[in-house]
Amino acid sequence: MTNYRIAWVAAATLLAGACSAAETPAPAPTTKPAASRPAAAPAAAAPATAQTAPASPHYVQSSGSTITFTFVQEGAANKGSFKQFATDLRYDEKTPASGSLTVKVQMASVDTGDKDRNEMITGADLFDAAKFPVAQYVASSFAKRADGGLDAVGKLTVRGITHDLRLPMKITRTASGLELAGQGAIKRLDYGIGQGDWKSTESVGDEVKLEYKVALVKAP
Amino acid sequence: MAFRNTKRSWGSLSKGLHWLIVLMIINQWVIAARADALPNGLAKLQVLGWHKSFGMTILILAVIRLAWRLMNPTPDLATETKPWERVLAKISHFLLYALIFAMPLSGWLMSSAKSYSVSWFKLFQFPDLVAPSEALFQQMRDAHHLLFSALVIVALLHIAGALKHHFIDKNDVLKRMLPFGDVK
Repeated sequence: MTNYRIAWVAAATLLAGACSAAETPAPAPTTKPAASRPAAAPAAAAPATAQTAPASPHYVQSSGSTITFTFVQEGAANKGSFKQFATDLRYDEKTPASGSLTVKVQMASVDTGDKDRNEMITGADLFDAAKFPVAQYVASSFAKRADGGLDAVGKLTVRGITHDLRLPMKITRTASGLELAGQGAIKRLDYGIGQGDWKSTESVGDEVKLEYKVALVKAP
Repeated sequence: MAFRNTKRSWGSLSKGLHWLIVLMIINQWVIAARADALPNGLAKLQVLGWHKSFGMTILILAVIRLAWRLMNPTPDLATETKPWERVLAKISHFLLYALIFAMPLSGWLMSSAKSYSVSWFKLFQFPDLVAPSEALFQQMRDAHHLLFSALVIVALLHIAGALKHHFIDKNDVLKRMLPFGDVK
């Protein structure tokens, strides 16, 4: 599973690299045949610029980060949170589109304020944390929003099911690094959270609101 | 039958609230027994959802009932009622009023402590009274059960008193609280 993920990330990186490489020599078609000889120089320069282009600064999660979720149960909004998760961010406010974000959440670290419900929610019909211990959000870029915030453009994988998901957030500078904060929502049944009786949304609503506030520091 | 109470008899609102709360308490007991028999899961959540909604209804009715009692004359006991009977009646009525508040309140506290917020028939949500705490939940659950036992005992005393008035003293005390009973 982990090896597969590494392979996937590696493939994505290669693909992204191929794309950016393809973009750089894009002006080539405009090159006149007469200029074929001098064209060798820019072609040689192109890989050099690609190498020197600074990657977005790398940040990792520090303490004081929270992911909470709100679900409606029997008509009452109830809150839960994840105690263990790891965030990895590459972000430059000047070029958000080239940023990336990875969040890995340990599903068994869920806390809904009640141990009985924690057991229930990590069970096979809901999170199935034994079989799917990690949920993962991987965003490959950030898009600017009209309200000045950002949308992480990525994919969420829970219980082995992956869907595209844009998560709104604001990334702001703090004394120690950055803070990433925002609110989003998912439909739990899209990810199979709710098998058997739990497929019914009568008692537990389909929509789950997410709230995240992650403190980040520059990666060492 | 008058809407308000008189010095001789209960008005229709007092009677209605009395019997509605009686029926709802019996219903609560039936629902609670069903929930107790279920394992943790969706069905139990649903049954407890009903229990909480009805419980909060009883609390609301209790508030209305107490306010109405304070705004109305309370019918006198029969003149021949002995002083010890009057004292016992006062104590048991006070306890019954206290219990129709204490039962839902302890249930509400139980839900808040367990982090299962209370809604009213999914129409709106009541705020949590306390932060989640397993220890407090267990105390409140014990209190909820103990208060129910107390309610059963006091209610039986209350029924015994009413029956004594009716069959032994042969006065109007029971009749004037019956749904369609009336006294001249």
